[in-house]
Amino acid sequence: MKYTDRSVNVPLCAQSLNPGLVNKTGTWKFAEPHFVDQTSPCNQQCPAGEDITGYMYLVGQERFEDAWRLIMEENPFPAVMGRVCFHTCEEQCNRKDYDEAIAIHVVERFIGDYGISKGLTVEPPKDEKGKKIAIVGAGPAGLSAAYQLRRMGYAVTVFDSNAKPGGMMRYGIPSYRLPREILDSEIDRLHHLGIGFSLRVAAGKDISWDSLASEHDAVLVAIGAWDEARLEIEGLDKGGVFNALTFLREVNLGRRPKIGKEVVVVGGGNSAIDCARSSRRLGADVTIAYRRTEAEMPAHPEEVVLAKEEGVQFLFLAAPAKIAGNGRITGLSLEKMALGEEDASGRKRPAPTGEFFEMQCDGMIMAVGEGTRVEDLPVFITHKAGVVEADDMGNTTHQKFFAGGDIIDIPHTVTHAIGSGKRAAIAIDRFLQGEKREQGSLGRFRWGERGNVSLGRINGTMLFPRRNPASEVVALKDMNTFYFDHRSRTNSQRIPPKEGLKGFQEVIASPSKEEAVTEAQRCFICGSCTECGNCYIFCPECAIKSDPGGYGYIADMEYCKGCGICVNECPRGAMRMKFME
Amino acid sequence: MRKVITGNVAVAYGAMLSDVQVVAAYPITPQTTIIEELATMQSEGTGDFDYIRVESEHSAMAACIGAAMGGVRTFTATCGQGLFLMHEMLHYAAGARTPVVLANVNRAGAAPWSIWSDQTDSVSQRETGWIQLYCEGNQEVLDTTIMAFKIAEQLRLPVMVVLDAFFLSHTAEPVDIPEKERVRGFLPPFDPGDCWLDPNNPRTFGGITMTDAYMEFRWQIQRDMEKAKTVITQVHNEFAEAFGRNYSQVDEYPAQDAEVVLVVSGTAASTGRDAIDYLRKKGKDVGMVKLKTLRPFPREDLINALRGKKKVAVIDRNFSPGATGVWAQEIRSALYELPDAERPLLYGYIAGLGGRDISVKTIEEIYEKTRQDERPDDVDMWIGVNYV
Repeated sequence: MKYTDRSVNVPLCAQSLNPGLVNKTGTWKFAEPHFVDQTSPCNQQCPAGEDITGYMYLVGQERFEDAWRLIMEENPFPAVMGRVCFHTCEEQCNRKDYDEAIAIHVVERFIGDYGISKGLTVEPPKDEKGKKIAIVGAGPAGLSAAYQLRRMGYAVTVFDSNAKPGGMMRYGIPSYRLPREILDSEIDRLHHLGIGFSLRVAAGKDISWDSLASEHDAVLVAIGAWDEARLEIEGLDKGGVFNALTFLREVNLGRRPKIGKEVVVVGGGNSAIDCARSSRRLGADVTIAYRRTEAEMPAHPEEVVLAKEEGVQFLFLAAPAKIAGNGRITGLSLEKMALGEEDASGRKRPAPTGEFFEMQCDGMIMAVGEGTRVEDLPVFITHKAGVVEADDMGNTTHQKFFAGGDIIDIPHTVTHAIGSGKRAAIAIDRFLQGEKREQGSLGRFRWGERGNVSLGRINGTMLFPRRNPASEVVALKDMNTFYFDHRSRTNSQRIPPKEGLKGFQEVIASPSKEEAVTEAQRCFICGSCTECGNCYIFCPECAIKSDPGGYGYIADMEYCKGCGICVNECPRGAMRMKFME
Repeated sequence: MRKVITGNVAVAYGAMLSDVQVVAAYPITPQTTIIEELATMQSEGTGDFDYIRVESEHSAMAACIGAAMGGVRTFTATCGQGLFLMHEMLHYAAGARTPVVLANVNRAGAAPWSIWSDQTDSVSQRETGWIQLYCEGNQEVLDTTIMAFKIAEQLRLPVMVVLDAFFLSHTAEPVDIPEKERVRGFLPPFDPGDCWLDPNNPRTFGGITMTDAYMEFRWQIQRDMEKAKTVITQVHNEFAEAFGRNYSQVDEYPAQDAEVVLVVSGTAASTGRDAIDYLRKKGKDVGMVKLKTLRPFPREDLINALRGKKKVAVIDRNFSPGATGVWAQEIRSALYELPDAERPLLYGYIAGLGGRDISVKTIEEIYEKTRQDERPDDVDMWIGVNYV
């Protein structure tokens, strides 16, 4: 028998006669996978409501202009933000429990600087809405609101008593943290948008609140917190004793206040650190005296580290009691403190011990907190304990008046101010369009549950597309970290303290493109589909298909048998399994 | 282009020049430099293929089967323990009629541990349904790798290219490396026909087959293995036409008039050529047959080559415990067809296990013993063993 002579009636390999498509395995299932882009912890946290995972994705793809435009949807000052924001987002980062949190601020600073170096601008609105809005206060809250309202097509005028716009960004924050050319570049873009500025005009004095209200369709009050708390001690009138904001304003105007050679800064917040580091630059030996311990300091820990590197001494559990000197300060009497019960903020309350000691000094700066000058507020809006009564969208007790920034009940940071300005802009727009304007009405435009709102979502910007965005926040346990390798964080480069102390030039070096891209690529992009394809690859039924709509994947429910492998293998928690009715 | 390269690099060139599309492999000494070279070619862009990292040889073969079922040209390489681990998938590859090409660097099996050459790994895959092509030198390694794809794809049967560890894998020789365009002229792109995993027409392949059909699938493999003898010769001829180098399944090195004929495979054949020259100079009546294919076994050609010879000495660099060397088994079985008058006496020798050298002297010893002994004194004879 010759094998080659004969053929048999079968194909080479056993195969089904019909396509497998007749087996509609979808009928087996009792649970279905859903593509749901959940909120990342950083996006929920960002007080400015930025889409952090979105721009991490774009920078990872080297789409820098898109990343810049994505931030600009939410925040007009990415270069400022990358420098002065205390990046609480990084404390929330899921990656911190895996290896190290993403250095979000490093990436953001790179994007901000990229925008400036490429001269990127935002186009003025195509259609004018024909309504006028007055914004009082050219600080971060006022400018953020002006920017967003102008983009919506409103005619916006910003009033400020100072000669230049910027508020605390210009007159509070020292230039070694925020170079003025960076601030000016970012504010200049607002002029290009057609925002009007009325400077050296103090509302309530140079122009009445009444006329502001009658000449405009809405008024945003964002005058900031420039009133300084004062210690109730003897000798405050002596020469060489400064208030923090006064001192910082002088320094930031380029003047060199006569602070002395041995300076004591009283307080434990960021202003205290700014005063101490500025005094070091003016040639003084500086000691920060704080009545609690380092653990209770409200100042950002990174700032404390930098201050220590620059030779600032710290004296904890010490409260000033009396200023000594004739005409000019020569020393300070301090009382030793002890920590007692926890107060409302959860920090241990300092208790006096009755034990005193003396310190020699010839300068002193008080940085013990700031508040709103309530007499500068319009009479139309109410306030309680120095804080304007407003909801978190900036709606006040008067329907035409809105409030934002340090005058409402939010932490006094640039980022919170920018977020509040944006929310007030949304509220003003909704008021003028006759729509609901409380937070609850914003639904899916919110990031998570902490009241931060995305204007990009309202505007439907799709630079980083998300389908079925949900406000649920994705935790590390909801993700499959098997797909991520361990990589260390890119830390900012600092110039040596010795160099830094020579003047007021910036102390943190700009990140390189490579650093920014490498760091952005570390981001898990928690909660969002990046089209990694795991669901598509792993589906045993080939039931996951490319979305004909263009982005991501869809599940073909006729064939999905509900095994859940796709959900399990999704690295970033962008899928959910739902039991069927 | 003529380059001095090792056998392993020759394998990598062979696969790359054949426009392989998927390589899935797991590193193992002495195969490692094959896949390192391929990885370099892939990353530097000289080879345009996907390289799948896998966690074992079993997975490597599984990935190759999947890729071949997806309709692309597929390659892997392994040796010794790796081939043993692959064993289950080797059967599957042949049963599923996937034209996977595998380069196996002959390595002795453990225990005891050895990384040196012998053929026990590949000969113990005789029954898997793979075509096996043994190589003598690095040029043959490169050429055979290219031909392997053509043979495999014509027959839809997997092909194993076999080379000795270190004697070839890590020894450099001058090798002619053909231009890619010429290889393309010789080897057309892989056409999977109707038998592939098409996402737009999803079908089940290799599903459970009842008693009324299973034998028919196996019968087809045997039919095509028989056909392979013709196909391999055709491909050898086409290759000779395209590149001017000749190969055959049964290669006679002056054997026609010889009384004693040695039968060898692998690198023992190149030593064998020197030994034959040396013995003939001394006036000895000896010839050699080199076998390139173990599967399909070229029984017809072999019978023709050995018909009427007095004595045949088979050198096996492998053995089957409890039986004899595998080539000797095959040859003894083929010679059984000859009438008594034309059937030579077969002397089976086991030599060179675990990398021990088979030198000209070893071959001379085998020749002399075969010539002097009237009959073989055992079913197989172990050469060079330090008996106590």
